Amino acid sequence: MARIACLWVPDLSLVAALRAEPELVASPLAVVQAGDLGGRAHVLGAAAPGVEPGQTLAEARAICPALTVRKSSPERERAAAQAAREAAVSISPRVEEAAPALVYLDASGLESLIGDERAVARELVAAAERVGVRAAVGLAASKSVAHLAARAAAADLTLHATRWGVGGGAFRAVMPEEQREFLAALPLHSLELPEELQQSLRRFGLQTLGDVARLPPGPLAARLGTDAALLWRLASGEDSSALEARPLSEMFEEGEELEWDAASVEPLLFVWRKLLDRLAQRLQARGLMAGEVLLKLRLSDASWDERALDLAAPTREVPSLLQLLRLSVESRPPPLEVRAVRICAEPVREVLEQMPLFGPRGASRTQLAAAVARLSALVGPERVGRPVAVDRWAPFAAGMEKFSPPSAEGVTASAEVPVSLAARALRPPRTAEVRCDDAGNPSLVIGEGALGGRVVASAGPWRTVAEWWTEAPVSLDSYDLELAGGLLLRASRELASGAWWIEAVYD
Amino acid sequence: MWRDPTALDLLLRDGQIRRAPALAPREPEPLPTGIPPLDAALGGGLLRGHLHEFVGPPGAGCTALLRAALASATSAGELCALIDPGDSFDPAQRGIDLRRLLWVRPRDFLQALRAAEIAIEARFGLVAIDLGDMCVLPPAKKPRGVIEVVRFEKKQVAPGAGASFERLRLPATARWARLSRRAEKHGAALLVLSRAPQAGTFAAVSVELERGRAQWEGRPGAPGRFLRGARSVGAVARHRRMPPSAPLPFLLPLEAK
Repeated sequence: MARIACLWVPDLSLVAALRAEPELVASPLAVVQAGDLGGRAHVLGAAAPGVEPGQTLAEARAICPALTVRKSSPERERAAAQAAREAAVSISPRVEEAAPALVYLDASGLESLIGDERAVARELVAAAERVGVRAAVGLAASKSVAHLAARAAAADLTLHATRWGVGGGAFRAVMPEEQREFLAALPLHSLELPEELQQSLRRFGLQTLGDVARLPPGPLAARLGTDAALLWRLASGEDSSALEARPLSEMFEEGEELEWDAASVEPLLFVWRKLLDRLAQRLQARGLMAGEVLLKLRLSDASWDERALDLAAPTREVPSLLQLLRLSVESRPPPLEVRAVRICAEPVREVLEQMPLFGPRGASRTQLAAAVARLSALVGPERVGRPVAVDRWAPFAAGMEKFSPPSAEGVTASAEVPVSLAARALRPPRTAEVRCDDAGNPSLVIGEGALGGRVVASAGPWRTVAEWWTEAPVSLDSYDLELAGGLLLRASRELASGAWWIEAVYD
Repeated sequence: MWRDPTALDLLLRDGQIRRAPALAPREPEPLPTGIPPLDAALGGGLLRGHLHEFVGPPGAGCTALLRAALASATSAGELCALIDPGDSFDPAQRGIDLRRLLWVRPRDFLQALRAAEIAIEARFGLVAIDLGDMCVLPPAKKPRGVIEVVRFEKKQVAPGAGASFERLRLPATARWARLSRRAEKHGAALLVLSRAPQAGTFAAVSVELERGRAQWEGRPGAPGRFLRGARSVGAVARHRRMPPSAPLPFLLPLEAK
């Protein structure tokens, strides 16, 4: 038998505000429509005695003078709705998002994984709380009854702050044998029916769904229209609509509207920190890491400034990501003031590895990825990676690639390695004045610091003329020089200009 | 039988099975440098969990030994990190398995130490810090017999200056002490290349090198003359578990490019 669960977040605007600022749970709070905070703004959600949605702000303040007011934030609500959807996905792979913050999921067959139906519903509430969302969960045989069960559970909701947002969710599991009884007891005024139909039903003296179910469907539809026919089907528990599981976007997003336009990085850092904390928690709840991170800044002219972070490896470490965000904005500041921020993370699966039981413990892939991300944040992503020799004629050219070491399995150590004189590249090469003797051999080097002295031995020149087909042609004579103190250098003379460079020191 | 908690006791009592002796924690194998005389003087190689210093002037072969240690470790499958604030590493030279080497190019000395700490915490087998191009000499020693008057003043801390600025004021010895403790905790072999001793007593092993004669092939000024390599002499000047070594001569041929 099919079992459908419904995860619903009532008062989405209020939950989204408290998810961003959980410390406000203790104070009376009202969320009003976006725009100015004038007295005519309408209350969208409230957690204050006597304050109801639909009141004007002036009315709400008259009822509760100590009211804390927040503007509704589409970015916050969008993130909260997405978090609720992820909570559902973490329990069942077949999920249908009917509306923002209203998600149906296929709960059939979850008993073997989680337990009985109450345990499944409880786990859904807990999954929502893990991503900072207070949800009402209903579980029944069809979508419509599951939704009604979630609405019934909403009466039992409480509100308390959790580490990642707000909690206090509730659930109602309707067993097949108690469905008729459950539906019969539901008052009609608790349903979102058209006002005209509500009035007609009231005139007929109908109070509950049970009253409607006892009427013959044909005459009811003939007198009150198709809406009444649908209501009768609902009251009788007839719902043939199937769960339409659709592939969901796998991008994790957290956003925030700023109270005033930000013109520097510092105020953004506070906002980013909170967004990244929530994003990391959501990723952790699903056992994922951020493979790619996108920063979107809505500017004061309503345009979006988008930039992708260059992550060396998947991570969910907040300090590293925060540092990378800061580096990105400092290196290329947005052209206008910032009005809203959105951080998007493309998730990748976390890799878990079995460590060796005997012998020293090495680095796991996750640890390596986190370390590379931290190093990238510290020194810049372009300065961390695997060294590669560049296929160029320019002396001591080096490049970097992404560090992804192969497995050490099957590697046998060689007992002896060849030791050779190593060249320490000077990047960029140091300029020097070199004087030559009558034969054209270098005799004196005047360079920076210790890179100078009388030449006691030399070899060369070795001519390199290459890459003339590029914008940076190589055309030079190279020498190996031994200075009077014993220092060994590789120096080159540019053929076109005659300028001398010291390119490396042998050590 | 398997669900009976007393079954194991009965088997032990009957002598059908015996309790295995507790496994003593084994001393981790050192990381060989790949140079047999140096490994012998080091007691097998670089000690895991300890700080090592290779000290010598440019041309003495410190970089050659560092590359040899990296080559030996990477060929054994160890992951290595090279912290190179001078940006002097040349990947074109052979020997090191570059796939297992993480190259980090910090912008300054402080970043280099922090980067080394991160690499140690990530459990890289060998973390090498190349300070060969950085001027981080220890402060000059004060002559004996000089009395110095030290005056203590309470510093006014600027508003907003917190713990993060405190870290910058740590003396160099404290930084090396911290790095040495990290290496010990996470079991990484830490290798520092420098031109003058840096870590002081926090270095478990100190190898000092001296420049030798350069080896030239061919007649001066004649075509075909080239640098064959150089000689150098090293010695393990301090080792926490071994006596100082005798001078170790090294012949460092120049690799043909």
